[in-house]
Amino acid sequence: MAMAMRRKERLSAWLRFLVLALLVLIVFLPLVSMLMTSLKRMDELYKIPARVFPESMVWENYALAWTMVNFGKYLINSIILTLLYGVPAVMSSCFAGYAFSRFQVRESRALFLLVLSTLMIPAMVTIMPFYMTMSKIGFVNQRILWLFWGISGIPFIIFLFRQFFSTIPTSFEESARMDGAGRFQIFFTIMFPLVQTGVIVASIFAFQWSWSEFLMPVLFFSDEKSTLAVKIALGYSDVKETVLYNIGMAGILYYTLPLVIVFFALQKRFVAGLLAGGLKG
Amino acid sequence: MVTAAYHSSPLERHKRTSFYVFIAPWLFGFIFLQVVPIAWGFVISLSNRTAFPVAVKFVGLKNYLEVFRDPEVLTSYWVSFVYTVSNTLIAVFTGFILALLMDRNLPGRGFFRTILYFPYMIPLVAVGWIFRLFLERDTGFLNTVLVRLRVLETGIPWMQQFPMGSILMLSFWQAGWSMIIFLGALSTVPTELYESATIDGAGYGKRVRHIMLPLISPFIFFQFVMSFIYAMQAFLQPYILNPRPIRGNWVMRNPPPSETFFVMARGYYIITAQNRFAYGLAMLWILFAFILVFTILFVKFGGFWVYTEAEERR
Repeated sequence: MAMAMRRKERLSAWLRFLVLALLVLIVFLPLVSMLMTSLKRMDELYKIPARVFPESMVWENYALAWTMVNFGKYLINSIILTLLYGVPAVMSSCFAGYAFSRFQVRESRALFLLVLSTLMIPAMVTIMPFYMTMSKIGFVNQRILWLFWGISGIPFIIFLFRQFFSTIPTSFEESARMDGAGRFQIFFTIMFPLVQTGVIVASIFAFQWSWSEFLMPVLFFSDEKSTLAVKIALGYSDVKETVLYNIGMAGILYYTLPLVIVFFALQKRFVAGLLAGGLKG
Repeated sequence: MVTAAYHSSPLERHKRTSFYVFIAPWLFGFIFLQVVPIAWGFVISLSNRTAFPVAVKFVGLKNYLEVFRDPEVLTSYWVSFVYTVSNTLIAVFTGFILALLMDRNLPGRGFFRTILYFPYMIPLVAVGWIFRLFLERDTGFLNTVLVRLRVLETGIPWMQQFPMGSILMLSFWQAGWSMIIFLGALSTVPTELYESATIDGAGYGKRVRHIMLPLISPFIFFQFVMSFIYAMQAFLQPYILNPRPIRGNWVMRNPPPSETFFVMARGYYIITAQNRFAYGLAMLWILFAFILVFTILFVKFGGFWVYTEAEERR
């Protein structure tokens, strides 16, 4: 009987494998379309009947995608803003998560509910009035604004860090406190290194969010300081205002690549971190 | 007197100081980047302010009343709501099925998990353009494949015929997030429970219904709430998947059709294109209130099916 059951289980595993493989294929169709289009000539795009593969690989599109919009400049802008937002966002969320997990005073529960409730505020409800006030006092087009946004932390990440810190036994800090270590010393030398996985997960999220954010840069920045997300959203077009899909797709590939690389480099720890620390509880 | 002693104990004081020291950055951001702008936005929404603030005066709730008489804006609320419900169901259902397929021993489990999560990593801006190209009637990849496989005779103009449907395809494509949450949820279910149920003769369906679903119901609930809140704020998708042709490099030149003119997109349009600041903010405030009330009601009354261990522990 055990044999039969194991056989049945193995059969079900292969069946599930097939279904998932099919799903992966379907999920990849749009990406294949993107890659193929990025290698086509412009006139090929509108040829009917449409063909899946390009007649010949037009690698030039990739060169054009870089030069046509001054890609390098926007890439640097995006990197600057991501760092300016990401580093303080991760640190401040880590701080807050630590506070909520370790120093529970009477009002901390209410404040934690407040953190979670900020998830419900539509971004535009705060960004639009903020933009109006800032433009009134002439404080737009300033990169430093991203730093302020970073400092205010990310509610979901605060929640995540709280979970991570809760898994660490308190005896670690207590012995350090006996030895007379201050609160920052305890945090940076003992606690912070222990939530490395949390820092990785948080950094990936912060990177992803600031890399894809569209509304804030489009409102606050002139073209000079604008980001890749804005450039890519506006698309590539020629003087006759025709949308150039082939070059556009090459640009999208460039734009997405940093995220993809970071994700695949860290995915094992990222997924494990998400599964282990954050989601239980 | 116990509370007083408790209050003034040096340990408690040290704790409280530490708490506020570590929470200070968030608190700063919360006050200056959320509370103040929201309050200011509310004040503006009670006036007749436009982009050119001349003769600004207090008009009370006039803007709010106007929102409820404006058929276009009401349509926006409605289509946003329809989108949100469909998106939530698609994301939760797809994510759950994917997690279920990947549960237990499976060859290539890590590979599938990574690959199916991957689309969620791609920024919306890029996803929008990839799908705009993918769904094109004559030259799009989807129609080419479907016609080649003889599923369709001629291509379907997806974006024109199904504007909402084409945006919902993104929810299906990016269900990886919900999949990860459910995988986390499934890993919390102790395997002994399955084993003993199997020995007692419970089939797969029964095990899912009576063991797995109750145990992961808090996660399903969490997914519903989060997905609802996020989808109500969808903004960029209707612009990039606009069925009207996009020309030049300003995607937002043409407003989307009314079937997909979501609240946030409408709010952006009213504020930036029509310059009606006060009216746009009133509209967004109503959205905020709606999300808040709906979530509270959902958490309060929608949670009756969520299984908790609290009673059992006692």
